[in-house]
Amino acid sequence: MTLLSLTGIDVRDWALLAEDELPQEGASVLVPLSRLLDDSDKLFQVAGKVGALVPTNADYTALESLCGQLALVVIDFPAFGDGRGFSLGVRLRKDLGFKGEVRARGPVMPDQALFLLRAGFDSVDIADDSRVEAFRSALSRFDDFYQSDYTGGRALAFARNGNASTRAAS
Amino acid sequence: MYAYDKFDHAMVDTRVAEFRDQVERRVKGELTEEEFRPIRLMNGLYLQLHAYMLRVAVPYGTMSGDQMRRLAHIARKYDKGYGHFTTRQNIQFNWPKLSETPDILEELAEVEMHAIQTSGNCIRNVTSDQFAGATADEIADPRPYAELLRQWSSFHPEFSFLPRKFKFAITGADTDRAAVKWHDIGLIVRKNEAGELGFEVLAGGGMGRTPVIAKTIREFLPESDLLSYMEAMLRVYNEQGRRDNKYKARIKILIEAMGADEFARQTEAEWERIKDAHIDVPKEEVARIKAFFAPPPLEVLPKYVPAVEELSKKNFVFAAWVKNNTNAHKVPGYVNVTISLKPHGGIPGDATAEQMDLVAALADEYSQAEIRVSHEQNLILPHVALRDLPAIWADLDDAGLGTANVGLLTDMIVCPGLDYCALANARSIPIAQAITKRFGDMRRLQDIGPLKVKMSGCINSCGHHHAGHIGILGVDRKGQELYQILLGGSGAEDASKAGILGPGFDEHGIVDALEKVVAVYLGERKEGEEFLATYRRIGAEIFKEAIYDAA
Repeated sequence: MTLLSLTGIDVRDWALLAEDELPQEGASVLVPLSRLLDDSDKLFQVAGKVGALVPTNADYTALESLCGQLALVVIDFPAFGDGRGFSLGVRLRKDLGFKGEVRARGPVMPDQALFLLRAGFDSVDIADDSRVEAFRSALSRFDDFYQSDYTGGRALAFARNGNASTRAAS
Repeated sequence: MYAYDKFDHAMVDTRVAEFRDQVERRVKGELTEEEFRPIRLMNGLYLQLHAYMLRVAVPYGTMSGDQMRRLAHIARKYDKGYGHFTTRQNIQFNWPKLSETPDILEELAEVEMHAIQTSGNCIRNVTSDQFAGATADEIADPRPYAELLRQWSSFHPEFSFLPRKFKFAITGADTDRAAVKWHDIGLIVRKNEAGELGFEVLAGGGMGRTPVIAKTIREFLPESDLLSYMEAMLRVYNEQGRRDNKYKARIKILIEAMGADEFARQTEAEWERIKDAHIDVPKEEVARIKAFFAPPPLEVLPKYVPAVEELSKKNFVFAAWVKNNTNAHKVPGYVNVTISLKPHGGIPGDATAEQMDLVAALADEYSQAEIRVSHEQNLILPHVALRDLPAIWADLDDAGLGTANVGLLTDMIVCPGLDYCALANARSIPIAQAITKRFGDMRRLQDIGPLKVKMSGCINSCGHHHAGHIGILGVDRKGQELYQILLGGSGAEDASKAGILGPGFDEHGIVDALEKVVAVYLGERKEGEEFLATYRRIGAEIFKEAIYDAA
């Protein structure tokens, strides 16, 4: 297993808190979203930092009240084709203003590296070490993009037209 | 036509390099077929019954003579000398070698073409009116918007892994030649009371095993808000569309389940949050793209051309061709010529490399170097001067492209069926050949009049049978290929779903059954009444009796 940073931030492995277990005082723990929704108060009091392990079928609004206390959100892709994970990344940045780390876990593909980055992900947890190089090279493959995103990237249409900063008026 | 700038070139060149690397890894065995599958699908490469199939995008069905020549070259060099034009206005090559597909994509990139997003659960090639920019009945040329959508949807970071494939169609005319109501999202260019351009936005249409006609989500969306509104719709779908069952994963199922009003409400709510987030491109970009689609400078010419009239009097086939295969251009003295790829007894939608070369040469000489592909699987030369029709027809006829059947019974939409497709239950091509031979008499065809017959070799309905005035659906019943008849569908502005008439027929019986349907129509029609109107007036029962009781 390799943790790859997409944005250049420092990344490290977070221990997943076992069911019924309480974190050690001051420890950084990854906690399934369902448990955080059940009772988060105690966890946030005891743990040093808390990360949420979020399934792709989660409603982003469930994260709204937790967001400010989380240091990490790990989105758990059950399959590379489960595109809800990308929308969750977008929602965290765009609608919840989440400033912590967003990580992808599960069978995502190297060819998705740029999509992840542009959807607001900082890091990816790569189960198969032989894929790390492919992820790295995919990350720098394209220089320009046709769409604006919610990580500060502007559609190349703006560059094409002298960095026009205004959208067409309604 | 749109021309790539350095950014567009870099985009497709990078994609080709990436794909070459992936194919090499696959050929060396570093990637398993399971791992390679999603990658090849994102580049339009399918594994069919007998071989790989490469689907090349023809964005909104518009291409140049040079691009068509390149397709001919690819057919000759990498395939068996032909290609197949599809209902998504694309072209498919049926026999490429895997190891050569990167070379094909590289040759395509040189002429500003690609196979990006011609398959997979992403936004596919945006289709449009084949007469866009060349027809008298349009409010505005829809292709600049289609190009905006093409760019916006290419490698979209959030919408490249949707629950299922996603199809857009856009038209600029009230007469719908793009079947917009049968699409995941359909757009119709409208003008509001202030005379400003915008779109009626429809969503939730689709064929497949659950045919649904799209519903209007917004009556008028200003032109400048197109991309942000599309993003809002796609986000609602990406988050809530079903992923547990691929047959229930299209947006039509979501919209049926939540209701069009609720889908509209959620879309509007999301759009309010993002409409000022620079998703829409600057107005300079819209103007830049529109400039590529400026109408060609055409000198007004006489509408009466003696040479055309004289040849029509002498030659019935030419007269029929002018009547059926040409339609009015916005400039007097010009027409759009539809080249039928439905020769009687031939394979619908196929064109040989030689035929493609001829069409390219004719385009260079007579149609401003422009060619269109229609969703009805024909080719179009737009902007043709009336006076050039005799010369064009003579060349087409020599090449087997002169069939005068556009819009008539034998101008069928037909999927590749079991001869090629891994999903099919039944063959389509031989049935189409039998039908077009049986109905091959031009005088009889003309007498029957406008009639859209559409055939699919399985329930996935790539042959649009739900939208056929007469639909034919191939099914498998205990190992036997049977063909059901459906009546009363429409893919036009009066969209309707065809209904199944009854039990299926074998490959011979289906042709006889079609004869009986036509006979009922001819007996029942009022003066000047087309098939669909007669069917809607008299209903299915009388057809049913004729087909099943007599048997």
